[in-house]
Amino acid sequence: MKRMLLLVLAGLLYWAWQERQALADFPGILSAYSAKEYCSCRFVMGFEQAYCLGYVQQWLPLSSLEENSQQRQVTAEGLGRRNQAAWQSQREGCRLLP
Amino acid sequence: MKALLLILAMITGCAWAEEWPQPDWPIDKANLNWQAVDAYAFPANPTSERSGIRTDALLIIRDGRILHERYAAPTTAATAHLTWSVSKSVLATLLGVAQGEGRFQLQDPVARFYPAMGAHPGVRMADLLHWASGLDWQEDYEYAPLKSSVVAMLYTRGREDMAAYTAARGTAASPGQRFLYSSGDTNLLAGALRGMLDAGQYADYPWHALFTPLGIDSAVWERDRAGTYVGSSYLYLSARDLARIGLLMQRDGQWQGRQLLPKAWVAFNRTPFALAQPVPGEANPGGHWWLNQPLGGAQRPWPNAPADTYAAFGHWGQALYVLPAQKLVIVRYADDRDGSYRHDELLKRVLAALAGEGA
Repeated sequence: MKRMLLLVLAGLLYWAWQERQALADFPGILSAYSAKEYCSCRFVMGFEQAYCLGYVQQWLPLSSLEENSQQRQVTAEGLGRRNQAAWQSQREGCRLLP
Repeated sequence: MKALLLILAMITGCAWAEEWPQPDWPIDKANLNWQAVDAYAFPANPTSERSGIRTDALLIIRDGRILHERYAAPTTAATAHLTWSVSKSVLATLLGVAQGEGRFQLQDPVARFYPAMGAHPGVRMADLLHWASGLDWQEDYEYAPLKSSVVAMLYTRGREDMAAYTAARGTAASPGQRFLYSSGDTNLLAGALRGMLDAGQYADYPWHALFTPLGIDSAVWERDRAGTYVGSSYLYLSARDLARIGLLMQRDGQWQGRQLLPKAWVAFNRTPFALAQPVPGEANPGGHWWLNQPLGGAQRPWPNAPADTYAAFGHWGQALYVLPAQKLVIVRYADDRDGSYRHDELLKRVLAALAGEGA
């Protein structure tokens, strides 16, 4: 039984090592997706806040999503990561900030 | 004699007069019954849950005139709607203009225009247009975000420079031999286009070469930090403006007497990539457009639509259909969050409505 558990653990560790890059990136996806697509929903497609909140909703909840309407900037936080997107220009729409 | 000539001129004049949406789309006043089409596209949703068919816009154009148009709030005729991967086919159309200007040939290696592809010297422009670069890629959105190359490209590791992210992928197959749908391949095309133009030309090129000549004024095309257009995903257009791309394609690249796209380019877009494997019910890849043309003895993907039907598709149900023989262009924008929508069913109902004309 103990040996079995060790084997499973070793397998998991091996998988995590193989996928270390993807696993490290994963927590950032939610806030980046939400910031970018919410920014475009509001400032490119021109929809209301309430609609855009529903539009970007995923199965994992965000801890916060803030819109700076004046500067057309959006900050999203989730899974411990924070991402920002900002409107650039009429033709260029929104983009994630570094 | 003069009168006879005048009458003759009027008759031929009428026969040749093509309608163009300049500046706005003319309306076709034909009295057709759209009930079955609307019932399918705009079902009454009792709950606010994100399930079922959720059409935002439906626009049906026949021979350059609006036959039917309907929107669901908050989308309106003025909304520049996200097209997602419809952007890919529009990028291909933009490349068609560039090809007509002699900027590249289909057999040119991509590395000639985009040096980072020097790591993959065998990949040609035609291979990218067939989604057959052979580069290692995983195209999945929300169901497998951990392993998805497209999610990494758009939102994490690749977002600063999407073409460079793609060019740095490993090789999984020989170039031109295997179809594998990849948003990375499209962004390499966007990077290659940049390399064909002078540094100052690129930013304005989609407008200068394509949007302005077609009278498109709603376009927004987002870029990555490197400044390259996100050709795979981030073009926004009003439904009426996307239909202009459709009409250009339906008329074989001609726009108001000018051959904006080479006819041979449209023919390339519409030729199936012979090495792709048919998947039942799924459109077959052509040159960055999707075809109803059957592949390898299989049934055609949408049995209720003519075999020459082709389309551009995007995530969550975005679509632009072209039916050349019927002179139809159909734009559908949507927010479908499940897979219940069927291209074949919509096309079947549209064709049935047209068949009822005058009945």
